[in-house]
Amino acid sequence: MSTSTRHRSRSLGGRRRLATAAVAAMTAAILAACGSGSGGGAAAGDSADGSSAGKPVPGGRLKIAFWNDLQACIDPNQVYWIESRSLDRNIADSLTDQDPKTGKIVPWLATSWTVNADATEYTFKLRDGVTFSDGTKLDANAVKTAYDGTVALGPRSTLGVTYLAGYKATTVVDPSTVKVEFSTPNAAFLQATSTTTLAVLSPATYKETPEARCAGKIVGSGAFTLDSYSAAKSAKLTRRAGYAWPSSLVANKGEAYLAGIDVSYIAEDSVRVGSLTNGTLDIAWPRQPISSADQDVIKASGGRIETRALPGISTNLYPNVTGDRPLGDLAVRRALYKALDLPSYTKTIFWDGYPVAKSPLTSTTPYVADESAKLAHDPAGAAKLLDGAGWTLGSDGYRHKDGRKLTLVALTQAGTPGDQLVQDQLKKVGIDYQIKVVTASQFTPTAAKGDYDLVPGYLTRADPSVLGSLLNAAGSTFYTAKFSQDAATAAKVSDLFGKGLSTVNAEARGGVYQQLQDYLIDNGLVFPIADRVQVIGLTKKVHGFAWTSESFLRANDLWLSK
Amino acid sequence: MLRYLAGRFAQALVVLWAAYTVAFVILHVLPSDPVTLQLSASGADIGTLTPAQLHLLEARYGLDDSILVQYFRALGGALHGDFGMSLTQNVSVSSLIADKLPDTLLLSAVAIPITLLFGVGIAFLAIYVQWRPARVLLARLPAVGVSLPQFFVGLLLIQVFAFSLSWLPATGNSGADSLVLPAVTMALPGGAMLAQLLTRSLADTWGEPYILTARAKGLSRWATQLRHALRNASLPALTLLGVIVGYTVTNAVVVEAVFSRNGIGQLAQQAVLGQDVPVVQAIVLIGAVLFVSVNLLVDLLYSLLDPRVASAARVA
Repeated sequence: MSTSTRHRSRSLGGRRRLATAAVAAMTAAILAACGSGSGGGAAAGDSADGSSAGKPVPGGRLKIAFWNDLQACIDPNQVYWIESRSLDRNIADSLTDQDPKTGKIVPWLATSWTVNADATEYTFKLRDGVTFSDGTKLDANAVKTAYDGTVALGPRSTLGVTYLAGYKATTVVDPSTVKVEFSTPNAAFLQATSTTTLAVLSPATYKETPEARCAGKIVGSGAFTLDSYSAAKSAKLTRRAGYAWPSSLVANKGEAYLAGIDVSYIAEDSVRVGSLTNGTLDIAWPRQPISSADQDVIKASGGRIETRALPGISTNLYPNVTGDRPLGDLAVRRALYKALDLPSYTKTIFWDGYPVAKSPLTSTTPYVADESAKLAHDPAGAAKLLDGAGWTLGSDGYRHKDGRKLTLVALTQAGTPGDQLVQDQLKKVGIDYQIKVVTASQFTPTAAKGDYDLVPGYLTRADPSVLGSLLNAAGSTFYTAKFSQDAATAAKVSDLFGKGLSTVNAEARGGVYQQLQDYLIDNGLVFPIADRVQVIGLTKKVHGFAWTSESFLRANDLWLSK
Repeated sequence: MLRYLAGRFAQALVVLWAAYTVAFVILHVLPSDPVTLQLSASGADIGTLTPAQLHLLEARYGLDDSILVQYFRALGGALHGDFGMSLTQNVSVSSLIADKLPDTLLLSAVAIPITLLFGVGIAFLAIYVQWRPARVLLARLPAVGVSLPQFFVGLLLIQVFAFSLSWLPATGNSGADSLVLPAVTMALPGGAMLAQLLTRSLADTWGEPYILTARAKGLSRWATQLRHALRNASLPALTLLGVIVGYTVTNAVVVEAVFSRNGIGQLAQQAVLGQDVPVVQAIVLIGAVLFVSVNLLVDLLYSLLDPRVASAARVA
């Protein structure tokens, strides 16, 4: 999962960060000089952004840079790497789309659908006149081939496994009607049909091997076609002539305005930001939020910043409660919530105004609950709980019980400033938080053995059921699910996840997921640390920018002014 | 001469085999399971697979055989240029290498002349120039070059030439102009080392009696240094140049990261972090081949530059 790959290319990070810091001062000086001359232009750019800036001009190629491409796969059905999913969104269409504002599912390749009461049968009416870029027509059979093909990928489709949990069969009712059946309720499936993971590719694509599809042998019905893809190096997309079937959320009902999109990958932050401010790039799209200093640099050059929280699981820590580990005691877990100071964490690591984590789900996830009262910073309360649990403060400033120090080993792939801040916060209540840095390749094996007290993890999906991938021991074998709960808790948790998946009614679903989030926090199964915000930088040339509900790029309405 | 060549060639082969074998042993001693690695790279968890599926995967990568069988199969494959499948990327190692190697070789091919220019140029001037302050400055310059970290130089060059002056692109693998900054960055430490060595050996050579003879015959300082001193002083520098060229892959790791070039260096970094054994194996072998062949070439050049080397070999 992205949990294990997040920091994979961080080995150069330490050295790079030093260099970045050294050069940052210079950059700031240079750009301050440039910026003073174009101050008026920046203001004009600000007022001219968004889709309201006059009549769209067709043509031009959008140059966008991501930070890296470690999964090295572009097949929407297989990929979990969010940057690749951003590209896939513009290459491949899905049956439905999701409104980023409301989380509501709206028509796309399917014009209408019905769901049975126990969420095991979904029937879709397909849009007429849709073709894949190889000329094949979209019909019920193509949808069946696509869904069967995605299921056939098995664990290669990391996300598909959960999106299609309980999948029985897809049947062709008539050429424009298709029925998807599940053996167990899957109320989250409707949202799944809006994702890139369940994008419908041309039937011919499913004759290719999974490896070939990953390497770029994919044909979709999207507003752009994939011309070339070289993992972590480049991707080229070209506008699909005659495209006329965008989702109802897109303003531009016809072909995209952009002639194409050129993708590059720039790992070095300062180089990516510099390339944006000097106009080599139109959009800089890193994974980690652009620092506030770099945001100022971008704004000074006349560019602007767009932000949106990635829906799904926040940056959380998951406990290991097995054996005689300290977190096996609920009181210690509750003390941990009180020891963590999330508002100051957010302000220090990101910036003032960055959303503070309020739930194990991020702020843009449908049905997110506000648990902030339970996550409030209360060091005195933490001390009281720990005292009550028998962990008494020793002369070394740490707590001890029966001769054992209150040590929590946190597994990570790179000791970030965030880890150190948590360490500092916990030390104040006498908890010895040890940051155990392991390489990417060692991370999964170590975590799978349960060789930790706390382990990080996040995942992107605009549906609350996504939490199940990391916490539902009945559906997921992931270490976070396996070690964070005892059998009784696991039964209750999977019961709640099961209820969520079998409840179709929106309001009732909200109730179930509120209950679930309450339960997870009350029982200390997950420790929210930070919301996850996608921050991107754009030049003033870019207009009509839009986020998808999963905070990916939607390029249909994008256009470049000269 | 032929015997000398054959001996050197056999030696080179032994070095290659040893490099491959040592890499194989180290990578297999590391505590990790390739199947788990491969699954976690593709995002799946080993727990999601049934034992039968696991066995199928192991068989697919030939991991169900004994370590010795795996070794000989890998070695046999490597001899035929087949390095197997990458564990983390969905392609064969050969195609990965074929995709990334040309960019790195091209970069190196541009960087080496620059290395030579830096090294020989500075050393030559440091000895030729007679005005003392300039001489001292030129002689000290290489020490600065050696001590500057490559990634810092790279970022500095990007800031100045790409972002402030907009003369050259900061990133990318396209076009000759995108090669300039990375090549200069790559050439700097090697050039500085070369200059240090050559300055010293040029200074030593100036004290030799044949230089005095040449000067006594009326040859100018310039001609003496170019024709007599440089040729004799260049032998140790040539050895060093061989080493520098051999370090191409190592150098590329940093330079390619800074300039976002997707070559062997980036691949090496990723493969090592992801413990992608077949890819690391192949890169080690490429590095070794480069090292061995360049050094072989250097040894042969030795006998051209200095006939005594070849005759000494013949006598022995």
